[in-house]
Amino acid sequence: MKMKRILTALAVPLLALFLLADTGFAQRERGFDDKEIRIGQWGPQTGPAAPWGAVARGSKLVFDMVNEKGGIHGRQIRYFIRDDQYNPSQTMAGVRELVDRRGVLAFVGGVGTAPGMAVQSYLRQNEIIWVGVCSGAEAFQDNPWQWNMWPSYFDDGSLLAKFAVENKGYKKIALFYQNDDWGMDAMKGINRRLKEHNMELVAAVPVEPIERDLSSQIARLQSSGAEAIIGIVAPTQAAIALRTAVSVGFQPQWLHSYNLCDFALMNHITDGLWAREGVITSAFTDDPNADTPLMNSYREAVKKLAPEERWGIFYMAGIVVAEPLVHALEKAGPDLSTAALRDALDSIADFKGIGPRITWSKESHRPPRELQIWQCGPNGETIVVQDWIENELSME
Amino acid sequence: MDMKRSYYEDIELFGSGTVLFWAIILLAGLLAAPFFATQYHVYLFNLILVHIIVAVGLNILVGSTGQIALGHGGFFAIGAFVTVLLMTKLQLPFFVALLGSAFIAAFFGFLLGLPALRLEGPYLAIATLAFGLAIMHIIGHMELFGGRTGLSAPPLDIGIPQLGFSWVLHSQVSKYYLILAITVGMVLFAINILKTKAGRAFVAIRDSEIAAEVIGINLAVYKTLAFAVSAFYAGIAGGLYAFVLGFFDPFTFNLILSVIFLVMVVVGGLGSVMGAIAGATLITYLMYDLFKNVGEVPVVGDLLVSFSRQWLTVSGIDNFNLIALGLVMIGIIIFEPLGIFGAWIRVKKYWKTWPF
Amino acid sequence: MPFGQLLIEGLAMGACYGLFGLAVVIIYKTSEVVNFAAGDMAMFSTFVSFHVLTVYGAPFWVSFLAALAFAALLGVFIEFFFLRPAKNPSLLGLIVITIGTQLLLAGVASWKWGAEQQAFSIPFSYQVTYEIMPGFVISQWAIAVFIIAALIMAFLYFFFKHTKLGTAMRATQQNKHAAKIMGIKTNRVFAFAWAFSSVIGVTAAVLLSARTILDPQFMMEPFLRAFAAAVLGGLMSIPGVLIGGGIMGLIENFFGYAWPTWKPITAFVVIVLVLCIRPAGLFGKHYVKKV
Repeated sequence: MKMKRILTALAVPLLALFLLADTGFAQRERGFDDKEIRIGQWGPQTGPAAPWGAVARGSKLVFDMVNEKGGIHGRQIRYFIRDDQYNPSQTMAGVRELVDRRGVLAFVGGVGTAPGMAVQSYLRQNEIIWVGVCSGAEAFQDNPWQWNMWPSYFDDGSLLAKFAVENKGYKKIALFYQNDDWGMDAMKGINRRLKEHNMELVAAVPVEPIERDLSSQIARLQSSGAEAIIGIVAPTQAAIALRTAVSVGFQPQWLHSYNLCDFALMNHITDGLWAREGVITSAFTDDPNADTPLMNSYREAVKKLAPEERWGIFYMAGIVVAEPLVHALEKAGPDLSTAALRDALDSIADFKGIGPRITWSKESHRPPRELQIWQCGPNGETIVVQDWIENELSME
Repeated sequence: MDMKRSYYEDIELFGSGTVLFWAIILLAGLLAAPFFATQYHVYLFNLILVHIIVAVGLNILVGSTGQIALGHGGFFAIGAFVTVLLMTKLQLPFFVALLGSAFIAAFFGFLLGLPALRLEGPYLAIATLAFGLAIMHIIGHMELFGGRTGLSAPPLDIGIPQLGFSWVLHSQVSKYYLILAITVGMVLFAINILKTKAGRAFVAIRDSEIAAEVIGINLAVYKTLAFAVSAFYAGIAGGLYAFVLGFFDPFTFNLILSVIFLVMVVVGGLGSVMGAIAGATLITYLMYDLFKNVGEVPVVGDLLVSFSRQWLTVSGIDNFNLIALGLVMIGIIIFEPLGIFGAWIRVKKYWKTWPF
Repeated sequence: MPFGQLLIEGLAMGACYGLFGLAVVIIYKTSEVVNFAAGDMAMFSTFVSFHVLTVYGAPFWVSFLAALAFAALLGVFIEFFFLRPAKNPSLLGLIVITIGTQLLLAGVASWKWGAEQQAFSIPFSYQVTYEIMPGFVISQWAIAVFIIAALIMAFLYFFFKHTKLGTAMRATQQNKHAAKIMGIKTNRVFAFAWAFSSVIGVTAAVLLSARTILDPQFMMEPFLRAFAAAVLGGLMSIPGVLIGGGIMGLIENFFGYAWPTWKPITAFVVIVLVLCIRPAGLFGKHYVKKV
């Protein structure tokens, strides 16, 4: 009986609180002041996906370089990295902490589809600018508060297939893909391209990002008789697959997605097989060792500002996503506001950093549709076998 | 010291007026908390409450019945996915969907309880672990469940929109009150269960299966019941988790999550509801807040950064969180085998008999 | 279906799982604790070997011996500082200690060596292959795995049956207090079991890392499979564990060939089905409990 009384006594204030709760709690910090602009990024610094954490640290280089030159219109950039372990609930925690307690003007990058999906609607509701999510998933494309530059997986698959068929003349192509939205979207792109040539994949073999024994997958690819295999897998699986294939004497031409264009790393973890087999990948940056003023300035900055970092492709990806944001902040002028930054981003046209050429407008925040194709040379060097090329096929 | 002088004393929900008094103070504090906290903290509270529900349910199985379970991430996933699907595909009201998903989870719990009749120890651990993995992969490979991409939760409407009575909760704060109410209910329910015939049967099974059987406890019924009840809790928690997060993918519910649930119960103190609550709170807080971003802490952070520049790698500094979590787990078990609850009993005893 | 290739690869992977399963079993055999840190202990010791190899430029065998020595020390260290001080711990309490140790080791390793993948090669290369008959290609690496697994199994079998220490370990497992009364220093037995298990673990881990890659997470999946293989084999019998590992590798490869989508879980599902019929594994004896 006591129980019942307690419960009724609790129910009344509870109802009152419910009604109160939905009104007026929305006080949060502004993202900038006269001295600094606060920018955030999440990324897996620990846990199984931790190699991708270099993206968030790569963006730091760009901001450090800006701060060294005296900031943007007198404001320094204060940059926060939040470790989310590639776990959506952690991403949400980190993002809310930055928005509610620190106050951030914009987010940049952010590795992964699932973490991004988890915070997408929250950031949109709070009207926080988000530039360059590191995921090519379709789900990010129609958000008015999001400006994308990560090449879509569809375009990646399509361009790899185009290169394999049109430039190399392969007739039997198989697919080795990670069994998630990344692999599925890329498969759509490949199938769309092959349909143009009246071809079909001879095999499509899935793999989970956690698997370490890939013998059966390789056996299946081998028995399909493929001359070329398009790989849409993470570096670990690509390396193990290549090692396994060599150990059974199976040597097709491998074509991998742009996430694996880090030839130094891949060559290292495959005991030099990457170079020996001349693996081809697509790529979304300029050649990391190119002798251009911009690339040289970044390489020097790494040596000076972040000597412990390796000049790898994930690190460069962080630079690629941060460049347009800095460009837009400069364009927005000293009278900074969310609206001003938004207009500046909307009017970016033909901006070229070390990534692809970007054009955004009020109507379209879609990523550029061009990629390069590289091949790993015999000494692990990058050979650009196809300069920037745009995908002309669309999904439908 | 906790002597019971009559049966009714044993089955009472609150041992004494003091306990009741403090419980009400605590509850009042929890109700007022969002007025003093940021949205971020309210989100953390929500996560903690959801984890408390799972831990309390898992405690019935692990702490009170003495079974081992490494697959509760699976039930949690069933709760989340089925609740959202029932709401979006079948247009059921929220509470019906939540209960429905919890009963489905309970049914799977019952199924998992069947092999548990014959298995024990590491054998049961592998069986439950396999269950958790299987659920994760099956959900991940079925279009119905959104495949590997995952699902987005619909707006949380706690009314019955089908009858034109709609009450949508938007903010984390309003969700907090909903989850708090459900958590309080589930915790009281758990305390009550342990004081019923079933609860005593669970404890008897834990202490000795053979003795329990001899005094007439039907092992098959009560073991599967324990699995079903704890799966029910995980199902409810999963359904709420879906709305706390708003979006979830199957690999959110991985083995690590199942292991962490078990850790919460053991660190809190096996067999004690209050212990499970304390364990869930502590571990969640450690994982999501306390030792995160140590590099930004004023003095300690700089020290750690220069230390890792000298001996380790600067980019790995966030691993401090994992290390601290591991050390806390080890420390608690070494110094207090009964977990946080054991420490609490000790403190209580000390003050009750003070100054002797 | 490339039968021969799947058979050899499956058996070789399975032997690695079985070998690693032995590391789990040795600790279980003495203290009934399932060591969740086994994977990361082996990972950590492999990284030590990697460190000696790359930073100090030592030859492989020196680095391997260093790893073995380190592994033994690490095992003793964990037993002495983490498990022994626990007063009247419950079994689950001990398991939570091993989980905590796992987090600790994983954290320290990726803080020290970074999260990026590393290459680690051993003298037995997977790139050198022999075709023993048409369709049966075997690499040097696989041959090494088979030989090492067989040697270690034979040694352990002999060790547990015919040496004083082995008998003491079995006695400790069956009844700790009785063993103590009989004059066995059970603490020493535990410490020895941890060192022993750690050494076997790092042997398996070195073999696995040479075939796959080296990163702070690389033993997580193999540990699960090794644990499952050990359970399938019955947790008590040494040959049983290796056979369990072999079955595990074969199921994964043959089912994985037929249904690649379900490869990660088939082996576990099969094991649960087996356990439903034989609750103590294939080779385990089901003890009838005394009251």
